[in-house]
Amino acid sequence: MNAIIRNMTIVSPGSPMHGKTDIGISKGVFVDPQTLPRGQEIDGQSSLLVPGLIDCRVNLREPGLEHKGTIASETRAAVAGGVTTVVATPATDPVVDSPADVRLVLERASVSGYCRVLPTAMLTQGGEGSQLSEMAALMDAGCVALAQGNCPFRTKKIKFNALKYAQSLGIRVILDPESRDFAGGCAHTGRIGMGLGLSLNSPLSETLGLGADLDLVEATGVAAHFSRITSKNSVERIRRAKAEGLNITCDVTLPHLMHSESAIANLDPNFHLERPLRTEDDRLALISGIADGTIDLIVSDHAPHETGAKLAPFPETEQGMSIAEGIIHLLMQLDRKSELPFEISLTAMTARAARFINQDKLGVIKYGNNADCVLINPNQTTEFNDSNWLSAGRNSPLLGALLPSQIFGTWINGKHIAGR
Amino acid sequence: MHGPAALQLTTDGRLRHLLTTEGLSKSLITELLDTAETFLSSQGQPVKKVPLLRGKTVVNLFFENSTRTRTTFDIAAHRLSADVVTLDIRTSSASKGETLFDTLKNLEAMQADLFVVRHSAGGAPFFIADRVTPNIAVINAGDGTHAHPTQALLDLMTIRKNKGDPAQLSVAIIGDLKHSRVARSLVHGLRGLGCPDIRAIGPGTLLPGDLEHLAVRTFHRIDDGLKDVDVVVLLRLQKERMTAALLPSEREFFNLYGMTESRLQLAKDNAIVMHPGPINRGVEIANEVADGQQAVILDQVTNGIAIRMAVMAMTLSTQQDERS
Repeated sequence: MNAIIRNMTIVSPGSPMHGKTDIGISKGVFVDPQTLPRGQEIDGQSSLLVPGLIDCRVNLREPGLEHKGTIASETRAAVAGGVTTVVATPATDPVVDSPADVRLVLERASVSGYCRVLPTAMLTQGGEGSQLSEMAALMDAGCVALAQGNCPFRTKKIKFNALKYAQSLGIRVILDPESRDFAGGCAHTGRIGMGLGLSLNSPLSETLGLGADLDLVEATGVAAHFSRITSKNSVERIRRAKAEGLNITCDVTLPHLMHSESAIANLDPNFHLERPLRTEDDRLALISGIADGTIDLIVSDHAPHETGAKLAPFPETEQGMSIAEGIIHLLMQLDRKSELPFEISLTAMTARAARFINQDKLGVIKYGNNADCVLINPNQTTEFNDSNWLSAGRNSPLLGALLPSQIFGTWINGKHIAGR
Repeated sequence: MHGPAALQLTTDGRLRHLLTTEGLSKSLITELLDTAETFLSSQGQPVKKVPLLRGKTVVNLFFENSTRTRTTFDIAAHRLSADVVTLDIRTSSASKGETLFDTLKNLEAMQADLFVVRHSAGGAPFFIADRVTPNIAVINAGDGTHAHPTQALLDLMTIRKNKGDPAQLSVAIIGDLKHSRVARSLVHGLRGLGCPDIRAIGPGTLLPGDLEHLAVRTFHRIDDGLKDVDVVVLLRLQKERMTAALLPSEREFFNLYGMTESRLQLAKDNAIVMHPGPINRGVEIANEVADGQQAVILDQVTNGIAIRMAVMAMTLSTQQDERS
């Protein structure tokens, strides 16, 4: 199929196409519109054309947790949020730790998925932190990185071995820095959580874990990615470690850029997350970290749940927020609040994310790249309600919210994907 | 105001639930204490029976162990002529896998009028009042380390009866404030009544980090903190604090913070000594103080019945007016 999108402005920082007002799509890739014969013309209605977003941390829940969400429902929600590629966590049931599991996810995604799905798998068998998984076979099966999620390693020596082995095979590892001694607690150790008498989680749980992980990364030389950084201290440590030349990257979740601990003042269980929301000072440091490149990526950490999982007193609810379908609008909202320019947040979910997953044909609008793009009008709005919500998880503060942009159309490999 | 503090009040400021003492106005606390005093006889004992809640059903929902609090709620409800049902949830439906949500919906269908809730999770009574049964009055009988508002009110009643207006007093709270819903609720209550000098005394491991925000002065040395106070509030020390390595031993705690006669002399001459009970003699308090003239610990228990009668009467009256 050939098409030319006109009457819009391309926003793809770093690309020679940035600022251009038309682009051609042919055979699944972006092409010079001059080279195309007259074919289908798409009116961009004066909106913005941005690269399809790459969300590097999404819980698709399939296989095994289909009561919370499926590859079909959650990739559909992601596409509605401007996402064209998701990196799936291995936190399914059972966890993804064998090549057969990886192939299963890929097959289901090819049958029922609405966007590109790139799997990750566990560094250790069963995620139990004791025996290494077949890392080479997992990567051959299609993983983009290996992770350990919230599952702790049984010993630091095993963690060292896992990282060393991964390094020798050139595999990138994703680590969630956390000290087991300080793990747990459903709220930040601040006055909101304290005042509500909730079990508390100190930022020390993260920085103690991060400190130990940085030593292991330095000792093994592995390419490591720290996921879900939440505190100002962590941002500063990573900034220093990068300056010292360590081969590391990191991400922050969108809820942590949008909200601070005050979001839990009403005990809304949608804000009960695996990593607690911390202070406003922390939130601003995370935003600065994205702006100056210390933090490489923004991820959604999209985590749909069935209704019953959130129908209990706050500390007893399951953790996580369904947020995928709001992603691009929330980036726009950060821009509207003058907190983070859209071009920067966009880069953290496109060009930088493509580099992270070694996909040099994604994340940037330029000739020859996969034609993944989103037409978004910043002058219209999107309101989420029960009737237009797509994720199977209704555990979201976005239900009932009015957000500051509207998606006109999404293309993946040049193919138009029906939005909401 | 947010959360429990906001939900428990109607738009015109009446008490619809009692979830926390945070945010309660001076006039509302005063009304609660005044009402409680009307339930005391001229000898200072709670009246034996009034027909105020005849035909009403009070359900005690205890998801966590409690003997004394549950008993005083029981007695209070009976004295108001209510029908009382007590459910020990730990041994009933929870073990059959029935969710809290469904259990409460069932009780609502059985036309309950008031829930008294104790739960180990902070915010559980708020969850019930907010999301499950908004038309049933909910009284928090202790949730996690969050709040124990009726205990705080009975403490305020005891202080007011013995020492007068808290706006003129200095109050020291000693011991494990960090894990104490009693202390947290008392601090909010004292602030509500305009108490100008609230002090917290204890080691760094047992004091929470938000005291400064609550305008509470902290002291690690008891001799500094006790100087010239009118009211001394001791808190129960749980054995778990030693196994969690927050304290070396009960003996060391007593040596540093135990209330002895000589220490009590640092306070004002006729200062009162309070304790939510049950007391650990030789840990928080020496025998001679526990049994001495200045201790008002049993007075607190008596006032507890009157306070719980007042809270039940006021919340149910608000709910009734809202329904009609």
